[in-house]
Amino acid sequence: MSGLTITDLHAAHGRTPILQGVELAVPDGALACVLGPSGCGKSTLLRVVAGFHPARRGHVALGDTVLDDGRGRLPAERRRIGYVPQDGALFPHLTVAANIGFGLPRALRRDRSDELLSLVGLSGLGRRHPHQLSGGQQQRVALARALAPRPELLLLDEPFAALDAALRTDLRAEVAATLRAAGTTAVLVTHDQDEALSFADTIAVMRAGRIVQQAAPQDLYREPADTAVARFLGEANLVPARIEGLQADTAFGILKLTANAGAARRGPVLLRPRQLRLSVTPGPGKVRTRIHRCHFRGSDHRVELAPESRGLPPVLIAYTDTAWPPGEAYVEVDGLAHPVDEPTEPLL
Amino acid sequence: MPRLGRPFLALSTTAVSLLALAGCGSSGGDASADGTPAAGGPSSLAGQSITVYSGQHEQTVKALTADFEKRTGISVKLRSGDEAELANQILQEGSASPADVFYAENPPALTVLEEKNLLAPVAPGTLKSVPATDSSPQGGWVGVSARTAAFVTHLGTAADSAPPASVRDLATPAWKGRLGIAPAETDFAPIVTRMIKTDGTDGAKKWLQGLKANAKVYNSNEDLSVAVNSGEVQGGVVDHYYWYRLRDEKTAAGTHSKLHYFTKGDPGALVDISGAGILKSSKHQAAAQAFLAYLDGKDAQQLIAGSQSYEYPLLSGVPGKAELTPLDTIGTVVPVADLGDGKASLQLLQDTGLLQ
Amino acid sequence: MTTPHRAEGLSPLRRWRANGPLSPLAPVAFAVVALVVSPLAFVAVQAAQAGWDQAQRLLGRPVLATLITNTVTLAAAVTFATAVIGFGAAYLTERTDLPGRRWWTVLLALPLAVPEFVRGYSWVSLWPSVHGYWGAVLVMTCSLYPLVMLPVAATLRRTDGAAEEVSRSLGRGPWATLWRVTVPLARPALAGGALLVSLYLLGEYGAFAMLRYTTFATAIFTEYKLGFDAASASLLTSVLVALALLLVGLDAWAGRRGRTTRAGSTGRSAAPAALGRWRLPSLAALAAVVALSLGVPLYALGYWLVKGDSTSLPPASVWSSALTTLGYAVSAALVSTAAAVPVALYGWRRGTWLARSAERAAYLTRALPGIAVALSVVYFAIRYAQPLYQQPPMLVAGYVILFFPLALTAVRAALAQVPPGVEEVARSLGTRPLAVLARVTLPLVLPGLGAAAAMVALTASTELTATLLLRPTGTQTLATQFWVYTSGLAYGAAAPYAALMVLMSVPPVLLLTRRALGSHPTPETPR
Repeated sequence: MSGLTITDLHAAHGRTPILQGVELAVPDGALACVLGPSGCGKSTLLRVVAGFHPARRGHVALGDTVLDDGRGRLPAERRRIGYVPQDGALFPHLTVAANIGFGLPRALRRDRSDELLSLVGLSGLGRRHPHQLSGGQQQRVALARALAPRPELLLLDEPFAALDAALRTDLRAEVAATLRAAGTTAVLVTHDQDEALSFADTIAVMRAGRIVQQAAPQDLYREPADTAVARFLGEANLVPARIEGLQADTAFGILKLTANAGAARRGPVLLRPRQLRLSVTPGPGKVRTRIHRCHFRGSDHRVELAPESRGLPPVLIAYTDTAWPPGEAYVEVDGLAHPVDEPTEPLL
Repeated sequence: MPRLGRPFLALSTTAVSLLALAGCGSSGGDASADGTPAAGGPSSLAGQSITVYSGQHEQTVKALTADFEKRTGISVKLRSGDEAELANQILQEGSASPADVFYAENPPALTVLEEKNLLAPVAPGTLKSVPATDSSPQGGWVGVSARTAAFVTHLGTAADSAPPASVRDLATPAWKGRLGIAPAETDFAPIVTRMIKTDGTDGAKKWLQGLKANAKVYNSNEDLSVAVNSGEVQGGVVDHYYWYRLRDEKTAAGTHSKLHYFTKGDPGALVDISGAGILKSSKHQAAAQAFLAYLDGKDAQQLIAGSQSYEYPLLSGVPGKAELTPLDTIGTVVPVADLGDGKASLQLLQDTGLLQ
Repeated sequence: MTTPHRAEGLSPLRRWRANGPLSPLAPVAFAVVALVVSPLAFVAVQAAQAGWDQAQRLLGRPVLATLITNTVTLAAAVTFATAVIGFGAAYLTERTDLPGRRWWTVLLALPLAVPEFVRGYSWVSLWPSVHGYWGAVLVMTCSLYPLVMLPVAATLRRTDGAAEEVSRSLGRGPWATLWRVTVPLARPALAGGALLVSLYLLGEYGAFAMLRYTTFATAIFTEYKLGFDAASASLLTSVLVALALLLVGLDAWAGRRGRTTRAGSTGRSAAPAALGRWRLPSLAALAAVVALSLGVPLYALGYWLVKGDSTSLPPASVWSSALTTLGYAVSAALVSTAAAVPVALYGWRRGTWLARSAERAAYLTRALPGIAVALSVVYFAIRYAQPLYQQPPMLVAGYVILFFPLALTAVRAALAQVPPGVEEVARSLGTRPLAVLARVTLPLVLPGLGAAAAMVALTASTELTATLLLRPTGTQTLATQFWVYTSGLAYGAAAPYAALMVLMSVPPVLLLTRRALGSHPTPETPR
């Protein structure tokens, strides 16, 4: 049994606490993503796992091997954990092949680096130096280099951040496919929710040194733990409601909830833009709105609506398949509403 | 490491082997010390090795040690340097000093070591071979050679046609802007000491203030000699041999200066002594005594007299270079006891601002 | 807290301290720093032996105020002048379309090959009117500006011109861009070079003595040379140490303010600024700098060689002196560079207050007069390393202590170029720390190590004061031979030794201009 287990992890830079009780479990072979705003501590988390930064207390284990328990730690070079930093950090004095072969015994270097070069689609570039490669190529080499010694775990620290959008999407998909093919357990750190949602099997949202929620991408998107997580993962319509049991009473009428909310209380429910349906005719459960703006995004249209009834936020967002001209529209809700609370702790 | 690796390796190998070569000069481990030259002559000391710290004219000292080695079979390791720096080095080394003999240009450096109780008594026989006034009254070091303070002038200047009879004259306003001195030189302080002796501290201080108003200050006697020769100043107080050494370098055609002496009896008509002493910590007392005896013996004195250092030998019966003005017509040796360690003159020089 | 896995003993956990603040690097770095700052301890021990009365008499003299003023005004003027000339020369050769830029770089660095005493004497003997304050400013500026020019040129060569181009696109003219973008870019290099220059000026004695300019070091030498009084001299030296502390603190402040971002990674050099009508004045200015700093000493050397009556074919021993000089210079260079690596590495990896202070402390020794450093080595060696006393390692140690800051500066500059994170990545690939050093860090800083070694070799090969005091008895270097002859007024006989020193210094200077600056960026050709 392998997989990464982190319990109650604390770490600090000097006197500034950075990680304050991180709990995270990544199953064997899974691609996990740690998602959080800049400065939340996600890079430090990665560096503790990699062995570059000491834990103050807590427990980090890979399979049966304890990596760090706040008192002792396994040196980075003995963890069998690959690491791909943001800018690749290729060794500038070595060729591409030598970079990839760096972590391998001499005898294996040639064959294995050829194998990995073709895996990342760079066959024939082995004799180049890093400065002769494009940014995307450099990142692929960094990935190949990290994969070469067949690590038990691969850590990726915003590895696509410096690339342009198209390349980023392609490379992300490629890397995910490569990792799945290799069966490698991986943790990717990012602040980009698209990246997280499209890449990972499981996403851990991190805020102010803690993991606030960990779930599969769809579950996280639909059922975030609080309003901040909801907003962080994508556009959110937070509609005031009176919640009780499995129902929420809103301006749209009674909506079914994703889960039993227990005793009666007031609070927002989450409706994702795709859950709002627009029509030209009024009806029960429909709210009259004015269309503020509508713009085409390639795959769909993003519509900004100003509701005319009270008890709704000033602006609602809907994604529609067809364009909506300025004017009136009636909005109804499709699917389940998810009750969310305001976060209890500070956001950073 | 493709780029610097090879040459670096080669260079470091070279460096190591060069240092190994340089290091194998050090050897020696003889032990015999009875404080006086062996009765059977120094030949019984053959094979011993002594270390001489010398602040004297290196070419001359080299000739002396080579001759000594040939005559006695005692090998000499010569360490040349600035006499003051060598004295400071011995002071820091203390009793662990590898030096056996210290051969200095001026008495104060020796006197300091004697005061710190670092010198062993010189054998009476050696002390007796030169006039008593030329050695330490306590017998810690012995005089070897002499030189004299003089006044060098640029040819054709007023200073040249009317040289000063006394150093005291140089403090008068008539010399304003025409004079050069090198007060930081170890040769200058004895003149001040002498002035303190003859004119009292206040008189000497006034005199120094006059000099300060008149003179351009040079770093060394060498610089001053060159400056006078090139006419930068009309005249300057230097030891006589600097003029002769500069003449050798510039040849007669390039020499535009001349040497004058102060009147006999004047504080400036000062004869300075170079001397040598033996370190108390020396493990080769007998060999060191033999070296001192040699320095004041006829052979060495003749070598000194004939060398390019233009110094006067101290041993009676050994004449100086023919072209040198006879020492006894210039002045008298100040009793070394009067010179002391030069602290009083240093303080006066500092007080008047000639030295910092 | 208990962990389920610890009991199984599967994890050979190391105490994390082993990789923490007390990694093996720290003791090595601190040992090196302790050796390098040992002269400060010597000065303190000696100064404490001076009585209170003596201290009052020495430090209460009004002349000391004058001397401090002399020292500070000279250091300020020369530092400013070297900064202007050093930056100007670097800018002209790296950022403009000056004709023959690479040749100018070499010519402008060559004054490093001229020994200090040759330079001082050449001016004084050719133009006796060059003396005093302005004489000292002129001669010291000519001799020290390469210490600023080389690091600034290296910085300019490494940073691509993007920032300057952006500035131009924002409507700033060439002068405003120079002042508001290029100068700030080069500020850390400028500050580092200026620190070396000003520290050096505090302790320098010989050149000023020749130029008849008295500074604080003059007073220290008086105590040593006429007073034979190490206690008084050390008391005065501690004032210099205080001044040096001030300078090092100032540099820390300037360095913090001027911390620049990472060098551009495009490897593309900026399009050189067109000099236009400034071309001729620029060429004239550089020619003047080269003439004054290189032409004058070479002319004087030639003059001695031809005109000196004592000029003769030097004896065969000139070759053994040259070999000895070479051996010591190379040893000092290798040891200093090797010693600078752990200190620089420690400071680079751990930006803690402690690491930075250790690094900066190493610079203080640079402000001490050579004789104080040499006597300190004598003091410690004879007490604690008697078998090595007056053996070759002692002289090498003296050189290392004297010139360590030069090596440290160069190694630091090289480390600053190592991309962040490569060491960690190498560790994550299963490489042990020492192997990471050998396979990643050292190969990356190798050009910088070459520059460090060249700088030390250059300076050590012409050093005199410490050489006279620390050399094995009987050892002759070119500098000591030169000294023997000049102190006997035999300038002609001394000239071949000086000429040989200059000749031997040319290869390291060439190495410096190529290694310290790095190759001109040419992205299309593989290395």
